[in-house]
Amino acid sequence: MDTDSPPQGLFFAGSDDGNDNDDVLIEEPQPGAATESKPRLFFADSDDDEETHASTFTTPMKRSISVHIENDGQSSDAEIPSFEEIPRASSVSSISSALSGKDKDSSPAPYVESTEPPTKRMRMSSPFTASQPPFESIYIGSFIVGNAWSTVRGKGYIKSGDEIQVEREDQDEGPSFKGSGTSKKGKKGKAMDKGKTKQLSIANMMKAPQPKMSKKKTNTVVRLTNNRGFEFGRLPTDVASWVSKLLDQGESTVLEYSFVNHLTSHLDMVEFKGSTMIDCPPVLHSGADLIVSLSIYLRSSAFKPPSTFASMSTITSAKQKINMMFNEGQETLDEQVLRERKSSLLKLFDAIGLKPRAGADFIKQRYKSDKELHEETVKSTMQAKKPPKIEIVGDGEEVEVEEGEDLSENELNMIYKKAQVNDLSMGEMEPPDTFTLTLRGYQKQALLWMCSLENGEASARDAVSMHPLWSEYVFPSEPVDGIIDLTSEEQPFYFNPYSGELSLTFPKAERKCKGGILADGNCHFLQKVLGMGKTIMLSALILTNCEAELVDPDLAIKDFSKQRQLKLDNAFRPLARQRPKSTKGPSVTLIVAPTSLLNQWNEEIQRSSQPGTVKVLVWHGQNRLDLEAAVEADDNDDKLVRVVITSYGVLASEHAKGEKSGSSLSPVFQIEWLRVVLDEAHHCKSRQSKTARAVYALRARRRWAVTGTPIVNKLEDLYSLLKFLDFSPWSGYSFFRSFITLPFLDRDPKAIEIVQVILESVLLRREKNMRDSDGNKIVELPAKEVTIENLEFSPLERKIYDSMYTDAKKNFDRLSAKGLIGKNYTHILAMLMRLRRAVLHPSLVLSEDQPDSSPADGEVDIDSMIRRFSKEEGTSEGSGNNAFAEGVLANLNDLDSNGECPICLDVMQSPMIIPACMHQCCKDCIVCYLASCEERGEEQRCPTCSSGPVKESDLLEVVRSTKERNGDASNGSQNSLPEVILRRNDFRSSTKLEALIYNLRRLRDQDPCFRAVIFSQFTSFLDLIEVVLKREHLNWYRFDGSMDIKRRNEAVSEFRCASRKPKVLIVSLKAGGVGLNLTTANHVFMMDCWWNAATENQAIDRVHRIGQEKTVYVKHFIVADTIEGRILQIQKRKTAIVKEAFRGKDASGSDSESMENLKIMFGDM
Amino acid sequence: MALPKRIIKETERLVQDPAPGISAAPHDDNLRYFDVTIQGPDGSPFQQGVFKLELFLPEEYPMSPPKVRFLTKIYHPNIDKLGRICLDILKDKWSPALQIRTVLLSIQALLSAPNPDDPLATDVAKHYKENEKDAQRVSREWTERYASG
Repeated sequence: MDTDSPPQGLFFAGSDDGNDNDDVLIEEPQPGAATESKPRLFFADSDDDEETHASTFTTPMKRSISVHIENDGQSSDAEIPSFEEIPRASSVSSISSALSGKDKDSSPAPYVESTEPPTKRMRMSSPFTASQPPFESIYIGSFIVGNAWSTVRGKGYIKSGDEIQVEREDQDEGPSFKGSGTSKKGKKGKAMDKGKTKQLSIANMMKAPQPKMSKKKTNTVVRLTNNRGFEFGRLPTDVASWVSKLLDQGESTVLEYSFVNHLTSHLDMVEFKGSTMIDCPPVLHSGADLIVSLSIYLRSSAFKPPSTFASMSTITSAKQKINMMFNEGQETLDEQVLRERKSSLLKLFDAIGLKPRAGADFIKQRYKSDKELHEETVKSTMQAKKPPKIEIVGDGEEVEVEEGEDLSENELNMIYKKAQVNDLSMGEMEPPDTFTLTLRGYQKQALLWMCSLENGEASARDAVSMHPLWSEYVFPSEPVDGIIDLTSEEQPFYFNPYSGELSLTFPKAERKCKGGILADGNCHFLQKVLGMGKTIMLSALILTNCEAELVDPDLAIKDFSKQRQLKLDNAFRPLARQRPKSTKGPSVTLIVAPTSLLNQWNEEIQRSSQPGTVKVLVWHGQNRLDLEAAVEADDNDDKLVRVVITSYGVLASEHAKGEKSGSSLSPVFQIEWLRVVLDEAHHCKSRQSKTARAVYALRARRRWAVTGTPIVNKLEDLYSLLKFLDFSPWSGYSFFRSFITLPFLDRDPKAIEIVQVILESVLLRREKNMRDSDGNKIVELPAKEVTIENLEFSPLERKIYDSMYTDAKKNFDRLSAKGLIGKNYTHILAMLMRLRRAVLHPSLVLSEDQPDSSPADGEVDIDSMIRRFSKEEGTSEGSGNNAFAEGVLANLNDLDSNGECPICLDVMQSPMIIPACMHQCCKDCIVCYLASCEERGEEQRCPTCSSGPVKESDLLEVVRSTKERNGDASNGSQNSLPEVILRRNDFRSSTKLEALIYNLRRLRDQDPCFRAVIFSQFTSFLDLIEVVLKREHLNWYRFDGSMDIKRRNEAVSEFRCASRKPKVLIVSLKAGGVGLNLTTANHVFMMDCWWNAATENQAIDRVHRIGQEKTVYVKHFIVADTIEGRILQIQKRKTAIVKEAFRGKDASGSDSESMENLKIMFGDM
Repeated sequence: MALPKRIIKETERLVQDPAPGISAAPHDDNLRYFDVTIQGPDGSPFQQGVFKLELFLPEEYPMSPPKVRFLTKIYHPNIDKLGRICLDILKDKWSPALQIRTVLLSIQALLSAPNPDDPLATDVAKHYKENEKDAQRVSREWTERYASG
């Protein structure tokens, strides 16, 4: 151990007596009640975290101690409590001797911030740049160990008051010795262990220090040696377990694993100087109790970033990333080292009674629950694998997401609150002349904010919070000659209880980190509540900051190396290709938006800029071949602002192509963009989705993510955005998970706090109802009236629904009883989906797939029941036709079996079945015929067999789902239909449709040229709505994911067209829930309810947004006593849970929460 | 005005695969207007006779029935002096599933089985009811006189 270099003292030698010294030591660092956790240290407590590693030798050691204690005649129980009373000052005399030559210049030198690029340390949590501490080591405190034990027998090794050295097992041994001898010695050591210490001769002891614990992870021996270097004793295992870690510090611990001995003593975090023997028997014998006082000094190296972060991350990161794909959250090697360092430091602080003065005060809590927490981590990781849920991201891409950490609205508000605090007073910025529109005040603010972030100027917002993960401590005064100078300046230092990092500089939240981010382009994200003109704001930004960034050679290199590291990490592509460039950097902005919004972006950008100043390329569909050429074409025209717009779908498929072929990357990933803007950025919220991975692979100087819902329903949604922004350290998944996700699941309010601070620096969020500094609303919007119309099922619908529900419930109860819910989660979700469809319309669940469905599902029963129900409606006695009917039904599954329509003599288009006789006709033919019969006042009968009467509403439509339908965005697997379904051609008997028509009719009476928007999440239900609207002779337009852009654009623009007739737009919630501008309408009908209200509100905001001049009326249709009511209940319940959430730790955890939700779904009401 | 696909199809089939004893051909200038001949069914008083009819497909066809009329004079209780036919499928029992062919076959069947209980030509019906033999004789005479051309 290197102890000769005298520490640069930080404390004045004064004159005071030892008792005061003691007081200072105790009082200053621990103002609160801190004793509860303290006594634990002095017991060999196998609950300690580190003990897990030492478990192989703990038992024999303890035994030897206890044997000795009994022999000694003095009960250890009597001794141990007495440690508390022993004045610590008794160690002072010897400390003084060690420190007498100390330099008195204690004022800390001004720390020079180095300009070390932060990119190198992207895996670290440290938000400050490294600074060189002005000392070799610094006093941190002292503590007393009462049960150290002797390993030698005899006199003269040590006596009370002597100075002692604390050494680590292997540090004094040569590398060769250790490398070759470890395993052999390990065996020998064990053998000796059994024989107990008494059998060891002194000579033996002296000759070969026992490498007993040299088994990889379990070596925690800490020796006590006298001034001559003879080992005379050891620290007890409970103390040694963490002291050894501190002495080794991460790197050597790690390297031990591979039996490579590195002499890394200069990296040790602590040293023990001036430790003294307080009490020992005059004649030592093996196992004799020693009471020692240890004074601990933090070495300057401790304040450097832990070497494991840097070295380990580069070594293991590639492998780790790969692992991460499969074993998310599993602890990696460097994480373990990190954890050990962290917990050791926590134990040290606990032992010396050091308490944080400010910031994260988690020592106690953490300390106690560290092991618990770790177990939970593992546990929850395993649990998390169980319930996969399919969600749709990007352009219809499906991903499995984990359940169980959904956020309620309250939580979200809490999260956003902090990020919005300073927004009122933010300055404004005028857009350039080339921008032709007028910006509102809050839009100018946003422009300033965005520009300042892009240009790296001082932030428009002031934020000087301490980084949320850090706590501030004060170095305790070091007693010198038993005297403490109370006038010495308090010197704070900072500790990150999450990562175990130490720092001397104030860890500012983000602000410094921002500078680091600047190096590779500005990465921030902007959240706009929809309907506030985010397109316009970004357009203004594009026009304002349009100059190509100059390529700083240094920067480019860093950029490059970092890029490469990223690539390797993510296995995205073999090598970043840095195009040899002129002095000019990238100047093109890439906008990624959902397919439905490409056109809107194009139009808005053109509209908001002077003609000729902006060149927009929509890179989508057929015109996407010559991207690189197009981008480089007018590279020399400085005045032209160039924008490329593309869709998530294109990006994902280009990326997949590149991944497959391996070598040839799509140009969109090769070009370095000046700026990438992700519109509706929550499209890439699932980090493993193709879309998200494609987005991460983009190269850009500046990154903006625009979304109305950065957190859709769980905190991890945010991760994906941070990853895109490359907002280190949060862009590391393990980091995000261990510091945010898991604490949050653990009900740790700190998680929210951390998120708040992250958002404070990267998020701009304004809401429509926010007020500016003058107290005016930043956006004046007309009122919004939301009503919920409760409907009652017709008796038949009730019968169908109830039977389905009973089946589902039986199913659920069965699974629940067997404990198989987790495994059958998707199945249960499918059942729920079916129920939700049944609420809308029975025919949405009427399927004709008997051959495929197993009888256990209960589907056959339902289907046949529905069919029977349909027949009962007709008065015809169809009994004779059974054979024919069966034949017809059997043929339905044959996709090519469409016969000739008896009416048009053509192949039947969308054949309809007359339920009474099973004769078929084209839909149009039969509908037309029945209508003409009605007109003539004739009875409506089957055209083929004249059986009747046939009601139009009884007809069953044979619907064969086609492939396109399954692939589109709005109609993924969640609501994919069976191959063939029979759908009642029913305009009246669905309660919801009836309610809708009733409302539309009334609306038409009041306002002959109303505009209404109807949302549903099921395109199959939209089909039905279409029919209703047709029948009502209303002008309707449709917008869903199955339509191509052109048709969608047409639908919207026709809907917007002025006309004296009423118009209705039916929109699929998923395809049209975002981005669209539908302010021409002021009536909204929500046909079904979505699991979270945020999505619904976003849809409503299509109408209730800037430009809306009338009051907006929103109507939700809810059928009473169905699953819909229960969905609402779940929403309410969530809020309730959140209120309780932080009161105490709930043993049930989050997984049981989704369980509870399911129980609500199926429980008795 | 484009002709509906159905009418084209029906016409094609009538020409390609005519029903026995029945012919129907559209006018060149009006494809909805058909010249029809029906042979009197064997075993009926109208045996050997060839009856001319005209058939017109109205705009609403097939939602409303075709209009059919005998051009040849015929002594039949369900067909009046003007050639109008009393047949349910040409009226309220019409179904779009019926076609020109089925209509003509029905008319042919009507010749075999006169239905004096639902008369159109009341005097003929009365005659058939009171003295069927004599009425059939008259029918045969008329067939020879008017329908043997």
